[in-house]
Amino acid sequence: MADLPLNGQNTASDLFIEMEAAQFTKSGQAACGDDVRFLTVEKENRHLVALSDGLGSGVKANVLATMTTAMAIEFLKSNIPTLEAVEIIMDSLPVCEVRKIGYATFSLFDFRLGGKARISEMGNPGYIHLRGTEEISPLKDGQIVSEHWPDREVRECEVDFRAGDRIIMCSDGVTQSGLGVRKDMKFGWRRSGVLAFARERIAREPDISARDLSHAIAREALNITPGGCKDDISCAVVYLRHPRVMRVLTGPPYYKEHDAEYARQALLGADHVVACGGTTANILERELGVKIKVRLADMKASGGLPPIGTIEGIGIATEGILTLGRVLSALEQMRPPEAEPAAARAILERMMRHDRIEFIIGTKVNESHQDPNIPQDLELRRSVVKRIAAALEKNYRKKVALNYY
Amino acid sequence: MESVKIEICCGTACYLLGAANMMNIEDQLPAEWRDKVDIEAKTCLELCERDNLGGAPYVRINGTEIMSQATPEKLLTRIGELIEGAA
Ligand code: FES
Repeated sequence: MADLPLNGQNTASDLFIEMEAAQFTKSGQAACGDDVRFLTVEKENRHLVALSDGLGSGVKANVLATMTTAMAIEFLKSNIPTLEAVEIIMDSLPVCEVRKIGYATFSLFDFRLGGKARISEMGNPGYIHLRGTEEISPLKDGQIVSEHWPDREVRECEVDFRAGDRIIMCSDGVTQSGLGVRKDMKFGWRRSGVLAFARERIAREPDISARDLSHAIAREALNITPGGCKDDISCAVVYLRHPRVMRVLTGPPYYKEHDAEYARQALLGADHVVACGGTTANILERELGVKIKVRLADMKASGGLPPIGTIEGIGIATEGILTLGRVLSALEQMRPPEAEPAAARAILERMMRHDRIEFIIGTKVNESHQDPNIPQDLELRRSVVKRIAAALEKNYRKKVALNYY
Repeated sequence: MESVKIEICCGTACYLLGAANMMNIEDQLPAEWRDKVDIEAKTCLELCERDNLGGAPYVRINGTEIMSQATPEKLLTRIGELIEGAA
């Protein structure tokens, strides 16, 4: 979290990496036999992903997969050579009684902003690298074999990963969906099917987020298989792009003379703006000459929070502290936005869609909130926003900036 | 006649002190009044910070008249007076 001065320009020039995954568990199993793990090493501007599919399914497979991703991420981070890492992993996985082997596949992604990406794979379907809808081949593509485990080949690729590119990695539950149950897909969906699907989705929606694309692929894999999930399905997508900036203005500035500059923040360099609080909305109306409209239909459907208004050409307006409080609890408990009252849901959904969330916080205390007649204690805006920022960073890997007026 | 303009404040103080109960006010209007009233929700009317107006929730009627401690009943009565009075 940074207390950054905002100038509206510096936000779009840096790049943002979005890493997301979607999973479905094999029908009838309590635990997913795949595991996906992400790590960002802030100091090195480095981003790591590990996806593993444990042998078999259920809890045992889950243990294999989680051990693999946990170790792999640790080794990547400490720059241990791939071969050595693979040997340690293979040597430490518990051996299955029945099959007499301990085995989990993996796909590892290691990328430093401004550099090349390295991808190592063992046993998983080959990754897909897309620039727009075009598939990109690796710069280098090699095999390494361990002496201890001669039958396990590791593929290592160096990839030119640029702004706008996407990498898709999945477990074989995705590429083999439909296998054996669909006559038209003798060998299942296959990597070529996933590739065609992803290209078609990106053609339709060129800015599709990593989150939406990974969910679309996993869901499609599930749909292809009639009668439920036959194998654990996992799909991870990494998307490198210019950040989508959302700005939340909340609370009146401490000094009234700052109102104009405060309101101007709603116009600068953000893709979406939310005004959180009645006074905030009024300041925007006054200073920017915009109109805020609250539809009566929204009033009724507002589900326990004051209704949402639209600020023409800029974004939306909601009530302040009650709505923020609800947003906070949803973020801290990682509740999906769909179940929240309209105003909280609107804010949460926008937060999920943006990479960088900038708060412009007015620090004047609202006297009317101290009214002893009010049936509940109203928390201070500042502390609620601080906690929201922490939850966005920790639970959702968002970049957050706080700016006080 | 001009329709009666009602602005219900949905700011925090008003909402908590009872504006929430007025969200359904349109449905409570008798059918013959419906096209004679124009109801809108508003962000904080900035009356709540003043202590001489009678207390939230506030409703503004026809742009100038302020109703304090508004309830659906009080509001319906006042709308009735304005419509019937004008008729
Ligand atoms: S909240 Fe209604 S006047 Fe301020």
